[in-house]
Order: sequence, then structure tokens, then C-alpha cells
Amino acid sequence: MSAHPHAREDKPPQSVQHGALSVRDLDKSFQIGGRPHKVLDGINLDVRPGEFVSIVGASGCGKSTLLRLIVGLDTDYSGELRLDGERIATTSLDRGIIFQDHRLFPWMTLEQNVELALLNTDTPKDRRAKIVADHIALVNLTGFEKAYPHQLSGGMAQRAAIARALVTEPRLLLLDEPLGALDALTRVHVQNELQRIWMAQRSTMVMVTHDVEEALYLGDRVIVMSPNPGRIRRIVDVDLPHPRDRRSPLLHRLKDEILAELTSGADADAADNLVHLPSREPR
Amino acid sequence: MTSRAADLLPPVRPRRAFQLSGLPVGALLAPLLLLGLWQLLCLSGVFPPQVLVPPSGVARTLEEMALSGELQRHLGDSMRRLLLGFAIGAAAGMAFGVTIALSRLAEAALSPLFLTLWQVPVIAFVPMMVMFLGIDEPFKLAVVAIAAFFPMALATFDGIRGVPKSWFEVAKVYRLSLFQLIRRILLPATVPAVLTGLRVSLTRAWVVLVAAELLAADSGLGQMMEMGRQLFQIDVVLAGVIVTGLVGFLLDRGARWVESHATRWRAA
Repeated sequence: MSAHPHAREDKPPQSVQHGALSVRDLDKSFQIGGRPHKVLDGINLDVRPGEFVSIVGASGCGKSTLLRLIVGLDTDYSGELRLDGERIATTSLDRGIIFQDHRLFPWMTLEQNVELALLNTDTPKDRRAKIVADHIALVNLTGFEKAYPHQLSGGMAQRAAIARALVTEPRLLLLDEPLGALDALTRVHVQNELQRIWMAQRSTMVMVTHDVEEALYLGDRVIVMSPNPGRIRRIVDVDLPHPRDRRSPLLHRLKDEILAELTSGADADAADNLVHLPSREPR
Repeated sequence: MTSRAADLLPPVRPRRAFQLSGLPVGALLAPLLLLGLWQLLCLSGVFPPQVLVPPSGVARTLEEMALSGELQRHLGDSMRRLLLGFAIGAAAGMAFGVTIALSRLAEAALSPLFLTLWQVPVIAFVPMMVMFLGIDEPFKLAVVAIAAFFPMALATFDGIRGVPKSWFEVAKVYRLSLFQLIRRILLPATVPAVLTGLRVSLTRAWVVLVAAELLAADSGLGQMMEMGRQLFQIDVVLAGVIVTGLVGFLLDRGARWVESHATRWRAA
């Protein structure tokens, strides 16, 4: 891929060793109706530098909350979050995030949106344009530099958001259901792009998704979470080299296993959760 | 979290049907029809010509007043008041809107009074204002300024409060300073709402100004109509009606043009 960002090349080779995330005894509660409601309970997780970790789980298992804590948008938690040994206290240009909605600013062109991310980096001004162009090329959007977000399709806008998140070369990139709003075909396409980009960049990535197939296709490991309160239920190693083949039998077997895992709890609770309508009770 | 940027913006009104550029023939149809009916009604003789002046009579009056310079004098006086009063009122409204949008305390303290006063027609303040300010320029400027103040303050407030929380999060992720946040995110994000506010307050100020001139003035389009009424020159009154409407129409069109050109990044 010729669009490989050049900035990688003049970094020392040990740069791939950056981006180790450690999560220790993480608890998080929200106040709901004046009472604390636990959303994350005793999360322990170590992500290796350069690893791609997927997190799946039913809605409400706190997986998006976990990402917001790691990126530093929410600092009200107990436990410990560290990136390369440094405690996470607020947001940092070392940690990037891609949201489910692209969150591009509509009055800025694609180029300006990407360049905004470089505003407070120490990147020399005269190199910024080149770095921005390289990252736009990395997500295959060359030719759309001057386009406004409303002129881009959903998939293109999300790819632009990926370019913006990568342009600062974060040690850790968090992806919060980044493809959730895309149609099935576009999803597959952007999944392939993500895999290619990750293989080119090798920065640590943690992706939350509700799509088990996507989690397995991209992840070196898949964290399965259970809700109420959010806990890690199981960690699945996906022992397949990248780039992967979607038809791989291992992926399909693991998918069935994880889906069974995710739905088994629901079945067990189903009897308890049945709503008893008074008028329908047998008399 | 499913919202796209397009959903986060205020809805865009379809503008195609009412574009000034290349004024469609259809836009002239209704006025011409109205003129025709008016002329027919005059020819039918239901009303005496002194009461219902025919269009041709009004056109002649307009021409005479334009040739004598009387029309320009009245129109010029009105426009001067409009622009000065509007500038004062819109600036004050913007400052007030920013204040109550940024400070919860200011909002709690001031917005009930603001919303109550907003429900009162500006014309209702005229008798009081005449007592304090007389009927000279300060009075007319004050009327215009008040009329422009309220829609401007409200639009600015809504514009700032309408900035989605998710954009602040993006700003935080990229470590934008407060100054960068204001300059790069808050200002551009509020431009559409503020421009809409400017347009609404400009046209509202115009209507209120003419009404105030009808009540108390020594010059201006409103006073021209009021004099016509007192002298039973209905052609002068109708000439004033037409010019007032046209000026308001052009103000609205001009403001819309500025709006759409300043916010070209919005989905059409």
C-alpha cells in the first residue's frame, strides 16, 4: 500500500512496543433515579502493544462505558487504568477514539476535519498537509479532500473519521461500534479496510461491537461481556494470522460458541423475566 | 448515539420553490391575478373610486411621489431608523442570548422575565415610550431595537444550547483549548441559528417600525400612510402598503441569500 503514512518510518522500531493497556479492578456506577447503578464490576484486562481486542456483549453490559473511561471522557470510576504504565486521568492525544457516529464537523471539509486533530500536536506546520493527505489516502478517500461531510456517504464519512483518529498516531485506538450505523455491504468493506489499516499501523486497538462475526474477523482476542452489572464473562483467543479469511472454519466455530454463550444466560433468565399480565393469568 | 451530523443540525427548509434568482414566472402569477381582480372590482362600480382606488391610480400616485422625491424621503427616513435600531437591538440581543446560554445562573434569573416580555406586542409599549422618549428619533430607534432584540436573543440562545454534546467530546479528545473550542466549534456551529435570527429580527423590526410610524411620527413610510388616511388619499395609503411589502420582501430575500451563502456546507 503506497499510502502508508511516512511518519511511521522515522520512528524507532520499538514503537510497536507502545500501547500496552492495563485495566485493574475497574468499577463504574451511574446514578439512576438517585440510586447508584453498577455498570462495570471488577474489570481486569491487559491488552498487549499492537494487539487488536474486540469486546462483544449484550446492550447494557457497559462496553461503551468502558471505552469512554479508557479514552478519558469520563473519569468518575474506581480502579486503575494505565497506558504504558501511565495512569489515565483525562483525554490525551496518545489515545484516539472512533465513535459510532462519525462526528465530523459539518462546516469543515474532510481535509480540515482531519487536520483539526493535529491542532495541538507538535507536528511541524509545514508537514501537516502531507500527513493529512497520507491519512486520507490510507482510508482511500483521495480526491474527496474538499468534500463536506454531507457530501460523503455513510461509509466514506466513517472512513474519514478513522483517518482523523489515526492522524495523531495514537498509541491506543478505541473503536466504539464504529461500523454500527453502516449497511451490511459497506460494513464488510470497511472491516476489510480496518484490518488493512491495522496491519499497516500496528497500533493497539480496542473495538466494541455487537457483531460477533466482526469481532472475530478483526480481533486477536474477543472479550465476551455479560450485563447487569458489566463483567468479563470469557476471553476467546482467535489464533489465526491476519489477513483473515471470512470462511475460515475456526471463525465459524468460535462464532457459534460465543453466540451460545451470549444467549445462554438470556434463556436461563427467560422464565424469571416473563411478564405476568393479570388479565391473562389462568383463573 | 446513532445520530449523524445531519440530524444534529437544525432542519433545513426547502428553499427551491421560493428562489429569487431567475424569479419563476409562477411567482408573478399571483400578484398579477390580484391586480386583475382589484381592477375588475373597481370597474364593477361597487365601491366609489375615492374609496377603492384602481391599481392604475395607485401606480400614478407612486410615480408622482417618486418624481417629487417625497417617496424617497419617507423611505430613506424609515430605512435609516431600521438599520440603526436593528444594529443596536440585534447586538444587544446577541449579547443577551450568549449570556443566558453560557450562564445557568443568568438563565434562571433572566429567562422568565425575558419570555414574559416577549409575549407582549412591541406596539403595546408605544404609549409608554412616547411619554418617556417623545416621538422623535430615539423613540423610533428604541421600538426597532426592542423588536429586533427578542428574536435575536432567542435564536442566539438556541444556537449555542443546540451545539451537540458529542462535539464537545470530540474537542476534548483532541485537546482543544477553550479559545480553540469557541473559534473552531462553537462559533461556526451557531452561525446558522444566528443568521436565521438576524433575518427574523430584521423583518420583524421592519413591520414594527412601520406600525410605530403609523402611530407617531413626522416622517417615514408609516407616517406617509397615516397622512394619506387623514387626508382621505387612499391612493397614498395603498402606495405605502405596496412599498412596505416590497421592502420587507427584499429584506427577507437579501437575508436569506446571506444565510444560504454563509452556510453552504449544509446539506441542501
